[in-house]
Amino acid sequence: MSRRIAWAAFVVCSAALAVAGPKGTVPRATVERYTVHRVREGVGVGVVLLSREQVRKTFVSDLDRCCVVAEVALYPAKDKALEVSLNDFALRVGGSDTATKPASAKLVATSLQRKAGSGRDITVSPSVGVGYESAGYDPVTGGRTAGGMTRSAGVMVGVGGSGPKAGSTDKDRAAIEIELSEKGLPEGSTSAPVSGYVYFPLVSRKKGAPLQMEYILNGNRVVLNLPQ
Amino acid sequence: MRPEALSLATLLLALGLNGVPVNAQSNESSSSTAATQHDSNPPGQATTSKSPAQENAARDAEIPVENSRIRWHLGTISVGAGYSSGPYYGPYGFYPYGPYGIYPGDWVYSSLWYPMWGRYPYYGLGSFNYNSGRGEVRLTADPKLAEVYIDGAYAGTADRLKSMWLDPGAYDLTVSAKDRESFHQRVYVLSGKFLKITAKLGSEGTKDKL
Repeated sequence: MSRRIAWAAFVVCSAALAVAGPKGTVPRATVERYTVHRVREGVGVGVVLLSREQVRKTFVSDLDRCCVVAEVALYPAKDKALEVSLNDFALRVGGSDTATKPASAKLVATSLQRKAGSGRDITVSPSVGVGYESAGYDPVTGGRTAGGMTRSAGVMVGVGGSGPKAGSTDKDRAAIEIELSEKGLPEGSTSAPVSGYVYFPLVSRKKGAPLQMEYILNGNRVVLNLPQ
Repeated sequence: MRPEALSLATLLLALGLNGVPVNAQSNESSSSTAATQHDSNPPGQATTSKSPAQENAARDAEIPVENSRIRWHLGTISVGAGYSSGPYYGPYGFYPYGPYGIYPGDWVYSSLWYPMWGRYPYYGLGSFNYNSGRGEVRLTADPKLAEVYIDGAYAGTADRLKSMWLDPGAYDLTVSAKDRESFHQRVYVLSGKFLKITAKLGSEGTKDKL
């Protein structure tokens, strides 16, 4: 009986693993290939901060409206497993005391859905007209009037629209969540290099203020200065 | 008289003519009833003598027409429509949008368009039609007649799927052609957004070299 249960558990686990599929991105050949990288205790950490344009190209969702996105790669030490957790990362504006932790895919998806639904659709339709009027009779006075060019200009402004706004449905939220979680940095124990995107909520900072990413490795803080 | 007015007058006249027999019949019916009432003299009163044939005819005439006619009644008309949002597994495998797409008529068209020896599972006609709650995938593929599969289900050839409207979600897009390397991509669709995908399929030789 216990054999049957064990076999059933094995089948279920295998199926779950098969359905789960790969997560994250493909790590580069070495940690040195990343713009910013550090190696501590044999563990390599590589980071690339994505520009707004890169974020727009990489993700279907409007992630640039809510988050700072960084691609993070971790290279475990030889023959040693590394526990990857999003809680070990933080983003700090240079010189600031406060730091932000990464947001989960679910949280970001919910935030984006709310933002998509809250925006107002305003349609502006300008119109310009040019006409020519030949000589005619004035309907009031009855006298002859001289013809000439007529010009008109106007603007129509429409606020709101019918139906749900683009990207604001529950299906959209689920799709965003799937995208972010599938492209996100995979968590858990690993002995092979892993990489993926980490999403930090937008931090208010002065223009040109430097950003720092912190990674806690075995209780020690690794600071990576991100380029602008 | 204007032609439109003339044709309208003709139409009204035709309707009026069609109506005449109906009214005449009803008048006849009512007049026959009246005649029957008129003929049914109280007992003891003198009646005119009739031959047996005339009596039969008179008896037949007395039978109310309404009683002898079969009356047809229109019962409740039921109209049904169904929608399956899927995905689920059917007799032929995985159907992302249900076995015959989301349109009620698809069952008929699909069974006509896709022969029994065709690819299963497949998307029915209309599965990629525009809908305000959907997102667009603009596909360009080389070769143009490459086969397109979405989540493992046959969608059609690339030349006919230049614009696909899909429900928000994540899909596995595969474009494949004979003697060519298949193209795979994970696609994320959001409502009101479009995604441009260019699938250039390399030759099998290139794949071996790599």
